[in-house]
Amino acid sequence: MKIKEVIAVINLMQADGVIECYAIGGAVGATFYLEPVATLDVDIFVSFRTEPGKLIVDPQRMFDYLTSHGHSLKGEYVMIADWPVQFLPPTSPLVEEALREAVTVDVEGQPARVFTAEHLAAIALQTGRAKDKARLLQFVQAGALDAMRFETILTGHNLLDRWRKFEQQFLSDTP
Amino acid sequence: MSLDLQRILASKRALRRELAALPVAEKLRLLDELRERELTIRRSARPPTSNVVREHSARYPAKGT
Repeated sequence: MKIKEVIAVINLMQADGVIECYAIGGAVGATFYLEPVATLDVDIFVSFRTEPGKLIVDPQRMFDYLTSHGHSLKGEYVMIADWPVQFLPPTSPLVEEALREAVTVDVEGQPARVFTAEHLAAIALQTGRAKDKARLLQFVQAGALDAMRFETILTGHNLLDRWRKFEQQFLSDTP
Repeated sequence: MSLDLQRILASKRALRRELAALPVAEKLRLLDELRERELTIRRSARPPTSNVVREHSARYPAKGT
């Protein structure tokens, strides 16, 4: 399984101290909770330890590490086991929280850190593209979200209004 | 087998539930296969013209927005 190879490489990066922690997001992350949906890339959210004396995190060490381990760079992607992998820094307080509260799932004996379903759904709501709305709808229809946890996240990140709008648009019988 | 739309939709929902309930490793294996299929379809599709409607939105919001 190629995705499992990707996860193994990320775990090794963490063990070698190249990244502080990671979590799988995007469509691959959603697959841990929903039916698989075709996707072309893997989104890995990462945090780094800041080096002493430096305030800005430099991802160059990570890219150097990956290329030295035989993985090629292709634009914004790193090719790992034939999958284009995109490493993303947490770009909002919501994603920072999602990274902190990610859960570890066993994949045939290998740990994989993945965003919770509620965080994936909240990020989809915040990002708001058509495919994000479709994914959010999948989470709702699959009954994959804990209502209390989801509402707590939405409240904490000022997403309740957006959620009400989404509910009205996609989950209400009346237009 | 029938052409009853309600039954067809119900069977689609059931299939999605079955797929979602598969072990994670099995679902990740399916992702590998789905990607291969997607790439094959894209390779055989016509290249997009510049005159098409596109969605314009930020991939992930910038910090503090």
